[in-house]
Amino acid sequence: MSDALIFFSHERTNLLDQYSDSFKTHVYHDYAEWKKEKILSPAIIITGGDQHYIVSILEKIRRDEELFASLCFVTELIPASYSNLVDGQLPQPLQLKQIINQFIDLFSAYKNSEMQISHLGRLIKYLWLRPNFILLPYQEWQHVRLYRYPLLETLSQDKSDSFEWLQSLSASKLLEPVALIDRQRECTFCHSSHLSFIDICPSCHAIDIDLQASLHCFTCGCVDVQEKFINSGALICPKCNTQLRHIGSDYDRPIENHSCHACHQTFVEPNVLARCTVCEKEMMPNDLVSNRIRSWKLSDRGRIIAVRGEVFDIATSFDQLNFIPKDLFIHDLDWLLISSRRYPDITFSLVGIYFINLTELIDLIGHSQLLQMLESFAQRLRSMLRTPDLSTRTAENMLWLLLPHTDAQGLSSFQKRIENSMQLLQAEADMKLDCRFISVASSQILKSETAELLLARLYGELI
Amino acid sequence: MQTLTQTGQILLVFLLQDQGTVSYLLIFVPFVLFLELPLYFMTWFGIFRYLTQDTYEIPFISPAIPRVTCAITCYSEGKAVQNTVISLLEQTYPGHVEIIAMVDGVQKNQATYQALKDLIPQISSYPRRSFIIIPKIQRGGRVSSLNAGLSRASGEVFLALDGDTSFDNQMVYRSVLHFQNDNVVAVTGPMRVRNAKKSLATRLQSLEYMLSLQVGKLGLTNMSVINNIPGAFGIFRKSFLQQIGGWNTGTAEDLDLTLRIKQYQGRHPQLRFEYEPGAVSHTDAPETFSDFLRQRLRWDGDLWYIYAHKHRHGISASIMGWGNFLFILWYGILFQIVMPFTIVFYTIYMAITQPLPFFLASMVLVYLFYFCLILVQFVLYLSVLSDRKWEDCSAFLVLPIYPLFLFIARLWSAVALLNQMFNKGHLDSAMAPWWVLKKGK
Repeated sequence: MSDALIFFSHERTNLLDQYSDSFKTHVYHDYAEWKKEKILSPAIIITGGDQHYIVSILEKIRRDEELFASLCFVTELIPASYSNLVDGQLPQPLQLKQIINQFIDLFSAYKNSEMQISHLGRLIKYLWLRPNFILLPYQEWQHVRLYRYPLLETLSQDKSDSFEWLQSLSASKLLEPVALIDRQRECTFCHSSHLSFIDICPSCHAIDIDLQASLHCFTCGCVDVQEKFINSGALICPKCNTQLRHIGSDYDRPIENHSCHACHQTFVEPNVLARCTVCEKEMMPNDLVSNRIRSWKLSDRGRIIAVRGEVFDIATSFDQLNFIPKDLFIHDLDWLLISSRRYPDITFSLVGIYFINLTELIDLIGHSQLLQMLESFAQRLRSMLRTPDLSTRTAENMLWLLLPHTDAQGLSSFQKRIENSMQLLQAEADMKLDCRFISVASSQILKSETAELLLARLYGELI
Repeated sequence: MQTLTQTGQILLVFLLQDQGTVSYLLIFVPFVLFLELPLYFMTWFGIFRYLTQDTYEIPFISPAIPRVTCAITCYSEGKAVQNTVISLLEQTYPGHVEIIAMVDGVQKNQATYQALKDLIPQISSYPRRSFIIIPKIQRGGRVSSLNAGLSRASGEVFLALDGDTSFDNQMVYRSVLHFQNDNVVAVTGPMRVRNAKKSLATRLQSLEYMLSLQVGKLGLTNMSVINNIPGAFGIFRKSFLQQIGGWNTGTAEDLDLTLRIKQYQGRHPQLRFEYEPGAVSHTDAPETFSDFLRQRLRWDGDLWYIYAHKHRHGISASIMGWGNFLFILWYGILFQIVMPFTIVFYTIYMAITQPLPFFLASMVLVYLFYFCLILVQFVLYLSVLSDRKWEDCSAFLVLPIYPLFLFIARLWSAVALLNQMFNKGHLDSAMAPWWVLKKGK
């Protein structure tokens, strides 16, 4: 499979000669022709300048159950809305070979699972195979929400709303934002961004309002529309007949300069109403939904899923260690702090493990190996902990263990054991998983400290 | 004390017993008869002429409403410049008013520039008004600002205005009416002191503006002579301004322009200056006496620069016509340049030759004479000219010390002229950078 190269072309192409030396090329005129043979290849090339043709093939490839993740190159420019669906212009054979090799490496690290059937699995696979891929929105004024994500639409086979999907992807931390591209207001009811804003009268909500030049006479305090003051080229107050010569000393302009033709109210500022042009509902501007348009990339968590085929992080390896959320951990720690201050016979210890070089290791040995390494570390740790011990994580590489009923002596022996097992682990692997430990027994904790302060102080000492 | 008693006795002798009064008073004849009185009579005559015209001639109001350009020269006015622009936006004039604000040396005067930019959102609520800001990065002085404004102007009538001057809302309407007469090339109107109530200095200047600028200008214009179209408030026919090439570099560009127009009048006697009492402007006068003296040092010094240097050859009957020539000779040269020195010499001469009580007595007499003259002038102004009679009545308070103020101003004028003659004071003006002033003649 690795040296197969699929060409889609509806006209004769002379590209084949160049590539047939290093690849086994297969040429198809259209998708249906390929469907008969179903030859798989890591890379697909769509040649020619017929945009309609390119787009139709591309759409079918990305929607295909087997081909969707393949690299796709084009030889001519394609519409901007599809640029997120291709991997760029066709490179030279040598360079292409390199790209394909890297692709195959990643492909072999990817763990196929049942998830692949779902569009979530397809998206993760697609992003995993393209390490620096950034999911970009495309601006289209005709679109109800003004922006769309063409890749999400094709990978989900148009079955789900891109924005809703993105929301759940970011909530489950599979994707993380790269940059904020736009922030727009949307209709509360239909999420359309096609809105119009209308000035209305604040008292009767009629739209028939107007700016109205008014004057305020300083001599008698009369406020009226300007027309009533104008008298043969001069301004004369209709009430007291004073001639108003100079603004600021004889008269000024009141700030209430809007008036409603329906209810004859005068007011300073009209209210603003937002009207959705799609569903035709009206709402106050404050009620509009703010939608942030971002570009996205696969998160660490997403990559872990790609290699493990399931949700995994350090915490899952520690499931049996009574892993609990951070808030709960802090709550329990607080409780123990208070208890130990009241009853001196209650003791406990806190251990922090800080992994220094996780990110460098990912680059050096890749995700899968690193995860294996962490897994074996977690197994050792598991064997050392007792049932009432609790653990949590405050950062990707910061693990906390709470050991109840452990005094300073017990703590030091625990730390010795954990350091020993770490040394053993490092001896087994070629690469070093660097850790720093910090520990504190309840007797060493200051009276003024709370759980949160304590964790922050220890974390500060570690880094 | 003894001196004062003697002074009193001499005064009594003069006023009550009429001994030697006539021969004594004759000493002042050259002053009064040839310089001071004719001017007063001439202005009074002009005012009566205006009043009869105003009463008997029915003004013809044509439907023509030409487009008007108001060019504001701005420098370091800061937020105060907004008053000027707003007072122009507020004009009742039914035609289009284009407002151009030229900010000179914009980097140094960011506050002024910002104040102008802050106004932009308001413009749309005024129909038929447009607003252009010209930020001038390189400071070039008032003349360069005015010419920049002139080159951008789209109106038929061009108003050259100052950033610290605001206007009554009928100003444009009233002044533009004059341009229906094709021969009218320039119009000006009364200037009032906006900050009159601030200090004694401003009160005195306010009175001076009423008497010399309002009464004087109206009278003189009706006699077809005008001394100056002030730089802070000049209204011109744009085509004519362009024909004479706009403003010329150097200080006192307003007087320079006035003289150049007068030189045109020699060949085209039908050209007219007019004064519109209804086009009222309000400006800020210097609030302290030292600022006042500094301002006059420049103004009065500029007179010498203009008359003796720039227009030395232009002041002749053949160029500007006999009327203008005699007027400038008499008002410009004699009254504004010779008289200050004459006063200084006469005062010193009297002080030396006459015994002290006699000298003091004559000074009191001079004071009384001027006080009476000014009282007449002020009552005339208040009764027939003032458009804010009640407000102006408060000037009665400073009327007694006004002759003193005038005397000091005249003395100072001599200082200013000397400063200009020997010190080239015009190169020291704040109106333009030195390298621009140097380019003037």
